[in-house]
Amino acid sequence: MSQTSSIAVERPRMRSKVRFLLIAARTVLGLIFVYAAYAKLHFNGAWHLRDYYFFFAMSIDSYRMLPLIIVQWMARILPWLELGLGALLVVGAGVRWAGLVLSALLVVFMMALAHAALGGLEINCGCFGTGSVKPGRELMLDGVLLALALAVTVGGFLSHRAGKSQA
Amino acid sequence: MRSCVKVIFSIALSASLLPALLSAGPRQSSSGSKPAPLQDLTALKSVGSREAPITIEVFSDYQCPQCRVFYLDTARQLMLTYIPAGKVYYVHRDFPLSMHSHSREAARWASAAAVAGVFETAEQTLYSKQDEWGSTGKIEDVLASALSPADMKKVRTIEATEGAQIDAAIARDMALGESRGVNGTPSIYVFHKGQMTPLPAGGVNYSLLKQYIDYLLQQR
Repeated sequence: MSQTSSIAVERPRMRSKVRFLLIAARTVLGLIFVYAAYAKLHFNGAWHLRDYYFFFAMSIDSYRMLPLIIVQWMARILPWLELGLGALLVVGAGVRWAGLVLSALLVVFMMALAHAALGGLEINCGCFGTGSVKPGRELMLDGVLLALALAVTVGGFLSHRAGKSQA
Repeated sequence: MRSCVKVIFSIALSASLLPALLSAGPRQSSSGSKPAPLQDLTALKSVGSREAPITIEVFSDYQCPQCRVFYLDTARQLMLTYIPAGKVYYVHRDFPLSMHSHSREAARWASAAAVAGVFETAEQTLYSKQDEWGSTGKIEDVLASALSPADMKKVRTIEATEGAQIDAAIARDMALGESRGVNGTPSIYVFHKGQMTPLPAGGVNYSLLKQYIDYLLQQR
């Protein structure tokens, strides 16, 4: 009897702990992506809102993986996409979908970084502006971010389903 | 007798080239009997007009494969388009990396070629035949195959007599690069309206650089 009641007390406590961890994870992940977008738009001590895509396109192109036209589109869109998705995670809106898109993005980034690391390329990944040139290190960072993004996505879907079943 | 003529020729060549070189750029203090530094070697390794609205400064290593790609695919195209049009001034800076066994020596020969007035041919030869001299270290032979015998003779003499000053000039380029945080090659800097902008590491595709240059030229 007493064992059943202790489990009944422990479960909500666990649930609130998990919820807290998920909120912390999505906030951290969101802030990292907001920062990644900021670093692509503000570098060399100034905002580059009108010419940021030249530099980012050069970074993406250094992987020599994509046709130039796609590189240019990615360079224009990606910082704003990262900013939007990061902001959604921070405010807690559309968390599961934002997490899903970010996870997919991170998988793509990691594939490109692995290609660069295996090829021994010292290129600028463009992940956080124009400074970083070690694909191996960025790959590890993206691995951690992917784990966070997947946790946020799964947590988002589970809590959405739980909310629905309660209703 | 032949060696005597060689020595006289070397002295005469040094005497005729040095004043012109030393008068061109700002000098550092040349105290006592120390030879004055070859300050304007940078100008001799640059292409285009100094008055151009955009200056592109490239820290490179002749033995670096990515520098070769950048030179052959991007810099050569600039030299055919924006540089003759007076829109871009292209500055070569030496940054021989210690991981490449012959790159410093190649920079030395290229600098000697710059003093002899045949830098463009030497640079093009060093990059296009990088595999050849990179594996054997026979830089002199590779240059001799591309330059006329008279030019090559000048280059050899300058390399032999002005080596210390050339080394000092290379060291200055490296110090400048290090002060800017250069740790790989090619490292490219674009100067426009007094602002210096570093481009992402690893070289730049010509069409992307062209778009950026066109964008900057529209800002005038």
